Amino acid sequence: MLKFVLRFGTLIGFAIILVVFTIALPESFLTARNWLNISQQLSMLTVVAAGMTVVMVMGDFDLSVGSMATLAGVVAALLFTLGQPIEVAVGAALLIGLLGGIFNGIMVSVFGILPFVATLATLTMFSGAAFIVSGGKTISGRAIPEAFGAFARTGVDIGGFIVPNLTIVAALVLVVTWVLLEQTPFGRRLYAIGGNIEAAHLSGVRVRRLKIAAFALTGLSAAGAGLLYASRVASANPTQGSGLMLNAIAAVFLGMTMSRQGEPRLLGTLMGVLILGVLDNGLTQMSVDSYVRQVLVGGIILIAVALGSISKTRRR
Amino acid sequence: MTLLVLQHVSKAYGGVPALRGVTLTVSPGEIHALMGENGAGKSTLIKILAGVVAPDSATIRMDGAPVVIDSPRVAHRLGLRFIHQELNVVPTLSVAENILLSQPVPRRLGLFVDWAKLNRLAGEALKTLGITHIDPRAPLAALSLGDQMLVKISSALVSEPGAPARLYVMDEPTAALTREESERLFRVLNEIRRAGNSVLYVSHRLDEVMTLCDRATVLRDGVAIDSGKLADITHNDLVSMMIGRKVQDAYPAPARPAESRELFAAIDLSGPGVGPITLAVKAGEVLGIAGLSGMGQTALLRMILGDTRAKGDMRLDGQPWRPRGPADAWQGGVAYVPAERRSEGLVLSRPIYENITLPHLSRQSRSGLLLLRGLERALSQKLGDGVRLKANTVNQRAVELSGGNQQKVVFAKALNGTPKLLLLNEPTRGVDVGAKFDIYQIIRTMTAKGLGVILVSSDLPELIGMADRIAIMRSGEVKDVVAAQGLGEEALLNLCYGRDAAKVA
Repeated sequence: MLKFVLRFGTLIGFAIILVVFTIALPESFLTARNWLNISQQLSMLTVVAAGMTVVMVMGDFDLSVGSMATLAGVVAALLFTLGQPIEVAVGAALLIGLLGGIFNGIMVSVFGILPFVATLATLTMFSGAAFIVSGGKTISGRAIPEAFGAFARTGVDIGGFIVPNLTIVAALVLVVTWVLLEQTPFGRRLYAIGGNIEAAHLSGVRVRRLKIAAFALTGLSAAGAGLLYASRVASANPTQGSGLMLNAIAAVFLGMTMSRQGEPRLLGTLMGVLILGVLDNGLTQMSVDSYVRQVLVGGIILIAVALGSISKTRRR
Repeated sequence: MTLLVLQHVSKAYGGVPALRGVTLTVSPGEIHALMGENGAGKSTLIKILAGVVAPDSATIRMDGAPVVIDSPRVAHRLGLRFIHQELNVVPTLSVAENILLSQPVPRRLGLFVDWAKLNRLAGEALKTLGITHIDPRAPLAALSLGDQMLVKISSALVSEPGAPARLYVMDEPTAALTREESERLFRVLNEIRRAGNSVLYVSHRLDEVMTLCDRATVLRDGVAIDSGKLADITHNDLVSMMIGRKVQDAYPAPARPAESRELFAAIDLSGPGVGPITLAVKAGEVLGIAGLSGMGQTALLRMILGDTRAKGDMRLDGQPWRPRGPADAWQGGVAYVPAERRSEGLVLSRPIYENITLPHLSRQSRSGLLLLRGLERALSQKLGDGVRLKANTVNQRAVELSGGNQQKVVFAKALNGTPKLLLLNEPTRGVDVGAKFDIYQIIRTMTAKGLGVILVSSDLPELIGMADRIAIMRSGEVKDVVAAQGLGEEALLNLCYGRDAAKVA
């Protein structure tokens, strides 16, 4: 029994959270509208967390995703003000994400800098670059094309429900990332690197190259999330992505508590994202103060990870 | 008169018996071997002795008086000392600090550490064991693994004045030691024996046991067999006791002689700290590499693997061989079995089949883009059967296997993708007798197919028994190449030391 609780603690906790909110908010919580709303709110975090999972599978980190999201949004907005079409702006923003990720990957794998240190440095660089590009101001108003903002406000009618475009994008990113991690040699090799980097290297896994590719994907996903956010608020400012990084890492950690070996897995990450999003949604609806919310969310993450590590030490 | 008597020791885990009425007696001044294949119950017996595992039944006597060992403290008070493979030492502290780790630190004025006294006490402890080459003030991390083990033994010696050490229990102490480190350890063990104390010595290395130990207790399927005096039995008798059937030879004979075709050649190969090395391997040949530890053997293999940049020329199968990394090497038909299977050979947390297919995943998937798990599992099953891997399924994680079976997974991986040249680095280290023989069989099967093998080993009988020719490395260079046939162990060892230094051996 105790074993069961330790093993599935996070899922049980999630179930309890769902029950509590369903009882406390009988009118609004368990409605299609609310859940579509949650899915839209979570789309940015989902995309970033999916990318974060890719590097965490190798046992690495990327602290720079939040500021990369910001930078990408700001770059797109700047190009809009220069009269560039949507495709060019979006393409350039994604390219920046890709290049930034490759830069992270080179720092980590070629120069051998610890990911924590390397991406902490690029976090600062990307953030500074976002301020330079935007001149420290929010870019909004007429410069942003109507169609760009409209993308986030509209959706696709699926069986009578309007599923927001952002939700659909997030779902696509999830599917692609899942296939990549679970069904391709690329993903298999990343897991091998995460399990034993030396053995992987000696078995012919091109560790250096794969690390760069993984960081590139993380950077790309961060830029994508930045664009989703910019579309949602039809503007861009140099601080908007700041909360994403910690939440993404928290989501992956929550997910790791659900996998048997304690490895990051994409479905676990998705559950982690949902837990964070549902907590936020429910607590907001119950008008719990946002600072209290932060304390609660942090505490829940700690409890989940503690339970996970207890169950692992017991198994040894 | 006996020091320790264990009788009727039984222990079952979840209904599965690990030990069934085991008897073990150790006399004072005796080095007693405890042997058995992996899973025979050795570690359970040791844990019972250490007071870590409670037996279902047991009668234990020390000096004729019945005792109950229900905690590690009791074991310690009785004079039992345990030296495990993983040494519990603190690398950042000095030798002296490690030796006296469990003691109250000598102080001046009750406040300052009395370093002089600390170093003197440690030096005395080392000297009792006849160890003079270790400086008590040196940081432990600067010592070789073998010297660290000697430090650990010294520390077991000094602990607590009221409870002198009587019996040292050592679990495969030489598994990670080089030959000269082992020799040094043996001298210390002989010193312990001379002082009238005893050693319970767990090892897979038969030659070691035959020369070092007085008697052996062999565990097989949880039952103990007393070998009697080891001086009265042969090597093969002991092996038969362990595996329960007659054995003819420790090393299978090759099915056919090596071909005359040259498979691999290195000409004036050199890299950081090694070379120039010139050597050649024929198709179907096992080229042994002998030498004292750290003479460039691993560096040589890693150059062939492309892991270390090398100057000079290499040829494989008539083509120039210039791998830019292990990935190239595997693709080109060179497979590597590293010395440390846990840290270099396997991704322990992943299933067997993922380990086996790792080097050739591009070919063993759909266009290198989508995994074909069914194919991977079938292939791994086949390769696993070929090396006599004992596992429930290929989905089992590598960490759950015994050492011998883990090594077979490493071999199955190496044999995946039809290699031309096998690079083996200490392929039977820490592997039990049965698995060892299986591994020798695998090597023979492969050479019969025309593969070349480069076998680096510190186990000299293994080199003589398995290799066609043996290249001796000293200071990063190949100094001699000799035929293995008819070569004596002594002669090979002398070659390893260099002829002038022969008297050192």
